[in-house]
Amino acid sequence: MTEISRRGFLAAMGVAGGSLALVGCSSGSSSSAKAAAETARSTVSPYGPHQAGIATKSQDRLVFAAFDVTSNKRADLVSLLKTWSATIPRLTGGLQVVDDVESNPQLPPQDTGEAVGLPPANLTVTVGFGPSLFDNRFGLSARRPAALADIPPIAHDNLNPAISNGDLCVQACADDPQVAFHAVRNLRRLAQGTAVLRWTQLGFGKTSSTSTTQATPRNLMGFKDGTNNIKAEDAGVFDDQVWVGAETDQSWMRGGTYVVTRRIQMFLESWDRDFLEDQENVIGRAKDTGAPLGRTDEFETVPLDAKHPSGDPLIPLDAHIRLASPLSNDGHKLLRRGYSFTDGVHPQTGELDAGLFFIAFQKDPRVQFVPIQRRLAQNDALNEYIQHTSSALFACPPGFEAGGMLGEALFA
Amino acid sequence: MNSTARRGVVVVAAASVAALSATALAACGSSSGKAAAGGPKSVAVKLTDKGCEPDTTSIDAGPVQFKVTNSGTAAVSEAELLRGDRILGEKENIVEGLSGTFTLSLQAGTYQLYCPGGKGAEKVDFVVKGTASPTAPATGAAALEQASADYATYVKSQTAELVTTTKTFTDAVRAGDIVAAKAAYAPARVYYERIEPVAESFGDLDPDIDARIGDVDNPADWTGFHRIEKALWSDNSLAGMTPIADGLDANVNKLNGLVQTLTYKPEEIANGASELLDEVGKSKITGEEEDYSHIDLVDFVANVDGAEQAFAVLEPALQQIKPDLATTIRDRFTALYAGLKPYQTGSKATDYKNYSEVTDDQRKALAALVDALAEPLSTVAGTVVR
Repeated sequence: MTEISRRGFLAAMGVAGGSLALVGCSSGSSSSAKAAAETARSTVSPYGPHQAGIATKSQDRLVFAAFDVTSNKRADLVSLLKTWSATIPRLTGGLQVVDDVESNPQLPPQDTGEAVGLPPANLTVTVGFGPSLFDNRFGLSARRPAALADIPPIAHDNLNPAISNGDLCVQACADDPQVAFHAVRNLRRLAQGTAVLRWTQLGFGKTSSTSTTQATPRNLMGFKDGTNNIKAEDAGVFDDQVWVGAETDQSWMRGGTYVVTRRIQMFLESWDRDFLEDQENVIGRAKDTGAPLGRTDEFETVPLDAKHPSGDPLIPLDAHIRLASPLSNDGHKLLRRGYSFTDGVHPQTGELDAGLFFIAFQKDPRVQFVPIQRRLAQNDALNEYIQHTSSALFACPPGFEAGGMLGEALFA
Repeated sequence: MNSTARRGVVVVAAASVAALSATALAACGSSSGKAAAGGPKSVAVKLTDKGCEPDTTSIDAGPVQFKVTNSGTAAVSEAELLRGDRILGEKENIVEGLSGTFTLSLQAGTYQLYCPGGKGAEKVDFVVKGTASPTAPATGAAALEQASADYATYVKSQTAELVTTTKTFTDAVRAGDIVAAKAAYAPARVYYERIEPVAESFGDLDPDIDARIGDVDNPADWTGFHRIEKALWSDNSLAGMTPIADGLDANVNKLNGLVQTLTYKPEEIANGASELLDEVGKSKITGEEEDYSHIDLVDFVANVDGAEQAFAVLEPALQQIKPDLATTIRDRFTALYAGLKPYQTGSKATDYKNYSEVTDDQRKALAALVDALAEPLSTVAGTVVR
């Protein structure tokens, strides 16, 4: 039997409703032709040498979830990863968790149903393993990569342990928030008895472009973010900065990458009261065009050495883009793939609890994220307006093929 | 017109759409295939100011899906299928513009559709004809017969204890003895919490026995265990509690009488077990159930015990029908009991720590164990249905 797509399933559901269903199915089907085209257009393959959701063009919405594994049996963990690996391609293909969701009226439907009728929306699901997974519970302690070293304390951090770290992570990105949520919700349901949710973070808008074909989005400070991000078209840079290669001490990580997430709260009320020139000096870019200060085009090289006639640098010494620039960091870059978030109103201050859920993929956090963030934490003018409130690190294993399993080489 | 024919028409219509993609065609086609294999029959129930308006009042035995739609009444928002006084299935909170479904496996007999609040005939007779074709595998059939008998015995044993322990409690209340009443409260609660879904199937009995203050519109109408709980632990006075105690006695006696002739289908037993765990997740983990006495852990364990008993009577059959599932559920009951052990203070069913001493992190850990069990347990009804 051909697999029932969510779109097709909607039509099939219409069938059960009688004469009205006649309209439901036929119109559903002619729109199914369009839907099929849309499905083809909005599907990202989950397979390949690297996991999807990293070099993939950044989608609009995020649901990120961290899990704690509650079982201490290695077989349960492997079984969970097998189940997830078999389910992820169904979800990214716009299918439900199983084909025959309503086979038995006495059984709870095996798919939660909220994505029925929605296109795949470029859904990608990316899985990672936290440092804590490599303790002695699953016999993995000898397989922990050196690069998966705990992130050391960094100045100005105000981390909440309840929303930090985790044994496993699932990053679901899609152009439709409900499609992303559906993926996390169903993967969580499949994990019952083996793993529990530790924390989740919703992101409502992308803050980075990861392709030269995408316009640079703005973060909640109103500035373009990620202008000089690594782009999918830079294959060489990916090998150099993102994908783990032969240099690793753990061969199971080849083709994988490490992800660091930080919930960065922005003090938006203070920021909004700052005068324009200062905002631009803090970032180092013009607010409207996104061009580096003293330049006119967004993508011009950041003139780190240029000076005002007065002798002051065009880009202030404490400007965010100067300190974050690869030229200030031994050439190291991060693939940024963050999302704007809001979690409502801060209970103590009454101010907006909002900011950037920073997500960065890299080859080795010890020489990429950690030193870059240390430099920023010391000097960045932006620190007056932000605070890091969570931190997590995960090793994302390489990709998998149909019938395969995420992290197969780790458990081999 | 029967539903299979309707589906046939639809498939022809769908196939005539030239631009149809292969996937979509398969979707329509496979649905009709599923129907031919015998999906549930359906009854459309319209909620109106008068009450229930089903599109049919007679149907063949077997799985039946009731599709409840409210197309514009503010007076009625709920449909129930009853046999005698017993609610077999219901859909609540269907307000204007909403719809919902519930599904039952019905055998021949006369039932009633009831939509509370309507101005028309109170209940509409609903006739189920013939015999259902057996949908459950023959495997485990004898064991399932036994399960039904065993569960009936269990429920009767619990309601008998409920009557006795409630009497001890209410006698102390009537005597105005706060100390004795406090001591007798938890022992009675245990027997109610173990079989609560059975009581819930009798309309008003559960609210009359077990409502919390927030469950009633007018606090003056509040009766049952928790009304007296508040008097004991919050008001420190039993003034005015004698009528409440008398009413509680009457209601638990009524429940005990009603269960004497009750029979249970395997799927009802399984769904009851799931409901007990949902109870734990909904009101015990949060500490809402026993807001004054904080004996939530006693209720918690009683709910789990009741679910475990319900599962235990089905377990031999399930071991034959789906052994992996039976083993998974048994393992997770074991894990849950192990997780509860640190809170035990003695050997009696009521010997558990006061819930105010259980930290948020500990509550979360207990909730994870309940969730892990509830997920596979929720698939038992569909596995044993016949």
